Amino acid sequence: MPEKNLAAENMLRRHLANPFLVLSLPVDAGIEQIERQGQKILMMLAAGMSESASYETPLGTRSLSEELVREAIAELRDPDRRLIHEWWARAWRKP
Amino acid sequence: MKSMYIGIDLGTTNSTIASFDGEAVNVIANPFGENLTPSVVRIDPRGGTTIGRRAYRFLESDPLNTRSEFKRLMGTETKLEFPMAQQSFLPEELSAQVLSSLLSDASDLLGYQPKKAVISTPALFELPQNHATVQAGKLAGLEEVVLIQEPIASAIAAGWRKELGGMWLIFDLGGGTLDVSLLETKDERLRVVDHGGDNFLGGKDFDNAMVDWALAKLHEQFGLSEVRRDNPESRSILNRLKAACEQTKIELSRVQRSMISVPELCRDAAGNSVEVELEITRADYEALIESLVARGLAVCLALLEKAKVTPDEIIHVVFVGGPTLTPLLRQRIGDAFGGRIAEGIDPMTIVARGAALYAATAGLDARPNEPAAQQPAGLAVRVEYPPVTADAEPFVVGRFIPGPDELLPAKVLIKRDDSQFSTPEATVTAEGTFVLQLQLQRHVRNLFHLSAFSETGAPIPIQAPDFAIVHGVSIADPPLSRSVGVALSDDTVHVYFKKGTALPARKTFAHQTIRTVVAGSAEDLLSVPIIQGEFHRAHRNGLIGTLTIGGVKQTLPAGSRMEVTLHLDRSGQMQARADIPSIGQSFENIVHILVPTATLETLEQGLASTEKRSADLLRKGFSSGEKSAVKILESVPGLMLEARRCIESARGDDPDAQQRLHRLLNEIDSALDAAEEAFEWPQLVNEANEQIQIAMAWVSGWGTPAEQRLLDQAMEKASTALQTADALELDRQVKSIKAVTLAAVNRNPESVYYDFEWYVENITLATDLPRATELINKGRGAASNRDRDALRAINRQLYPLFPGTEEERSKSYGSGVH
Repeated sequence: MPEKNLAAENMLRRHLANPFLVLSLPVDAGIEQIERQGQKILMMLAAGMSESASYETPLGTRSLSEELVREAIAELRDPDRRLIHEWWARAWRKP
Repeated sequence: MKSMYIGIDLGTTNSTIASFDGEAVNVIANPFGENLTPSVVRIDPRGGTTIGRRAYRFLESDPLNTRSEFKRLMGTETKLEFPMAQQSFLPEELSAQVLSSLLSDASDLLGYQPKKAVISTPALFELPQNHATVQAGKLAGLEEVVLIQEPIASAIAAGWRKELGGMWLIFDLGGGTLDVSLLETKDERLRVVDHGGDNFLGGKDFDNAMVDWALAKLHEQFGLSEVRRDNPESRSILNRLKAACEQTKIELSRVQRSMISVPELCRDAAGNSVEVELEITRADYEALIESLVARGLAVCLALLEKAKVTPDEIIHVVFVGGPTLTPLLRQRIGDAFGGRIAEGIDPMTIVARGAALYAATAGLDARPNEPAAQQPAGLAVRVEYPPVTADAEPFVVGRFIPGPDELLPAKVLIKRDDSQFSTPEATVTAEGTFVLQLQLQRHVRNLFHLSAFSETGAPIPIQAPDFAIVHGVSIADPPLSRSVGVALSDDTVHVYFKKGTALPARKTFAHQTIRTVVAGSAEDLLSVPIIQGEFHRAHRNGLIGTLTIGGVKQTLPAGSRMEVTLHLDRSGQMQARADIPSIGQSFENIVHILVPTATLETLEQGLASTEKRSADLLRKGFSSGEKSAVKILESVPGLMLEARRCIESARGDDPDAQQRLHRLLNEIDSALDAAEEAFEWPQLVNEANEQIQIAMAWVSGWGTPAEQRLLDQAMEKASTALQTADALELDRQVKSIKAVTLAAVNRNPESVYYDFEWYVENITLATDLPRATELINKGRGAASNRDRDALRAINRQLYPLFPGTEEERSKSYGSGVH
């Protein structure tokens, strides 16, 4: 099937939610750092701190949610999935 | 009043409730002083309800008005009848009765009715079953219910205070199902690596093996030909025999020989009373269950093989569930793992204990809210902290909520109650918030005190300044047991949440409608089927809900953009929404959230056609000598045997057997699908080779360096899949190669013409032929004028008119989206 604009759009949605972007962490962050940062952002969101409301992406600021943060932590706990996210995060960060 | 966390193991046969106060976990006994409350409900002729042990006593004598094992029917619409009282209830309503009884036992002990609790569910429960469990909790008066998978609860209970790193195997054999989970603890964090199981192996099968043996003996001795599983008239007799066998089975775990005794079981043909006195030795019994135990061990080894873990790497095997007390089972499983069985664990209460610990992790304090008048004086503050954590230096976040005449503090600090640790002073932001990092003493409950100060350093009294954090194993979120996605019109799946996704989760993706929906027509509906499962063909997965698009304000043309959002909460309850920007309408109406049930007649037909398909494939397998297909088909005869047995019980009016058969047929069909795929292997290999050649040509010419790298990776993985004959993996890699190729193709300015040619050649596949013809005519004009932008726009409108074949659409639960 030729036209794939929707697929490209859906793929972009996935990659803008890259866990390293969501948690604002470098790709070499250890699991302890990931869990701690994730829990911290979750608590900041729960307390309604305005600085926790968004995160930076190469395509601008996007709003942050509890689900996004939880998903980011879980994705990085899985070594196989983490590899894929590392690859994309590096691709994002290198112009 | 100390924080209190409640965990409930809502079991098929028995249920248990446990509490955790931050220091110790306690199982709460029922008024009989027992830790286990039978999951049994009886309703007498006057409508009076008895639950638990009292009801259990009527299970043999009055089976029609006493119900057990309703957990197996959770999430279905099957109503269970109580004929004497002329009442009927859904499985979740009966589960709510059991939960009420457990909560009342807790209330007697604690002095208040718990308001929040964690309830455990089997790892392989699907969303409708989880939904029904939450409903049961709400009906029992709980304000908040969080679910946890049973194996995770077991692992938390077994390992929460141990500093062990490595792989764990949780072997949970319940009444009807076996769940085996592989978990990993690392840095005191618990992760589910994978889980497997057998939906058709449980303690009940151990009982049935003995019942069948006893029935054969009774037929021999008394000629009771009418006492059969498929005879509804025998139900009460079989129930009594089953209860006696269950008792004997338990005794044989301790002694070498025992008797199955049932006084006055029934009358024989001559009208004489049949007194059952059958002697059975442990060796006899072990011979009966030998194959069942081997099946259980095979499930463990298959799971390990899938996860590429060797038995030597397992540091502990944890047994859960009454049937794991069977000596033969413990010996066989123990031997396979070098005897590394976790000691000092009660397999009957471990799940409830783990659930209570998890309630603390999830911050689910069961105490009722204090009335406002009783709240202490001072500035209100909301402190966010992890009640249980593996992190020895966690953050704490707080927010002050000042009243009309109150000022925000300038500084805060937190001290540990042993005076060995204090944070530095932190500044409170203008919005009243602060962030501090603590230090915990390992493996104990740590008490902290928050202090607030004004600009001048004067202390400011605050409400509830004390809180506790327990250092232990942490598992942040329950993982989703099976993937959830939307079925597309070409019988493929758009996965929203992969298996293992942490809950809660929310995702939005864009789709296109495949046909026109006319305004003002109430019958004209478009379906967005939501499915759960791991199969790449949509129809093989279970339908868990359908979002229906109907009653549109203005006619919605085919190809309209639709954004679908799925949200799953911590307990796996689903909400779905479809937004259609072009008409400014949203739809949130999910019409179906039930485990599909089928009539006995449909199931019999299903079994007959599965038998034929299976026989054809077995024949093909042996004649072709296709080894991988033959290997896949090995499990089918055993499953077919089980299915025939289920149909017998279903004919004997056993609704549970009907449900079991439904799942069994799905499982057999999946195995047959996999075998068919294996037969298609040579074709798949050809397709892969062809696709690789096309990809190399396009990507080397038009791809970016990143796309070339991606292609290299996919080709490498495809080559491994070719070597290991892994059809699923090869299929996945071919898809990746196609995606990369497509990106490169689209970079070629001429590709827009190739796309258009495809539509022209395949016009007969369009769902709306007049519209497709009209667009193709326009496209021809654009193509002859070399107007690429116009042609691209036309291609975009043509795309949704080609959503797959009619057959694929009807298979994919009538999906109206692509």
